[in-house]
Amino acid sequence: MEGLKEIIVGMADFKTAKEGEVLTTILGSCVGLCLYSPKHKVGGLLHLMMASAGAQAMSPTCKKAKYADTGVPELIRSLKVMHGASSTDLIAKMFGGAKVLQGVERNIGGENSAAVKTILLEYGIPLKALKLGGEKGYRIKFAMDTGKVACQIFGQIVEEF
Amino acid sequence: MAGKDVHYVLRLVAKLSIDKASQVLSKMVRAGSKIELEKVYLADISKATENVMASDRGAVVGAFVDLVGDIPFKFLFYVDSQDSMMLTDLILRRPDGATKAIDVYTMSAVQELGNILSSAITNVFASDFQVAMKPTPPKMVHDYASTVFQEFLMDAATEQNEILMIESTFRVVKVDIKCRMFLLPKNDAQKTLANIIGLN
Repeated sequence: MEGLKEIIVGMADFKTAKEGEVLTTILGSCVGLCLYSPKHKVGGLLHLMMASAGAQAMSPTCKKAKYADTGVPELIRSLKVMHGASSTDLIAKMFGGAKVLQGVERNIGGENSAAVKTILLEYGIPLKALKLGGEKGYRIKFAMDTGKVACQIFGQIVEEF
Repeated sequence: MAGKDVHYVLRLVAKLSIDKASQVLSKMVRAGSKIELEKVYLADISKATENVMASDRGAVVGAFVDLVGDIPFKFLFYVDSQDSMMLTDLILRRPDGATKAIDVYTMSAVQELGNILSSAITNVFASDFQVAMKPTPPKMVHDYASTVFQEFLMDAATEQNEILMIESTFRVVKVDIKCRMFLLPKNDAQKTLANIIGLN
């Protein structure tokens, strides 16, 4: 992926990219959803924090990318509007959801990934790869040329999905 | 309370706390520590985490502490993995380079620093503002800097899109170690503090 333009995606945000570009993020308990259109060689990366926006969804100040139920549809819409890729063109890969801090009871990563799976099912987007859980952060690099995601869990070797 | 006043209060707290923390750090490692950065700012959570990712050089050892009491804050202290080994040598009075891996001693050394720095900050609250505060035992993490920073923001970021933050960087001059420290006011901490010092 060297030599390609790298675009960083912060927490509670998403970005889209085209051929020649790489979307990258680092995750902890958040979940990273990569949507890719092999036909158009475009994709998007959503770095979501929580499963549902709840009542917040109606608020004009709602940061849609923070939540699975508002962020995933927004990313799908952006890929359509900005790059012409419709949901039937897309495949999905999902990463993250680690339990980084010990002593935290709630399994936020599990809740997030379950919510994303439900939404992908509604849109008919196949989930082609997933790597979730553990206790360490994930660094992911999502290349638009190939749709491949290089995932490195902290302290481990890079795996390609 | 006007935003300007909130920032004024936090700047005051930051100045006093960071001065105190710097003195304590110097004593602890028996080397001068220089404050390189001290700022209070309102940051968008996406932008703040993006900035940390852009400068993420890899592994850090971090200590998370909750400062509980009338004016709750969250506290984070972290240092690059390589530098944490040098800090361990300083604290344990070992020869330079004796610590070669992140082990129980390194984690303990950073944990102790987190403990001492957060206690120094709660002392400032007690002595200068007569506010009773106490630090919880530090939770330790060895991970990517970005992961550590995101976990630190997580609670506040679930409720807000922008967060008010106090950031500081110290350099332990003798061995050129750079440490980062963040303070994040929880709930209405800054308003309560402003009330206490009579800004409202």
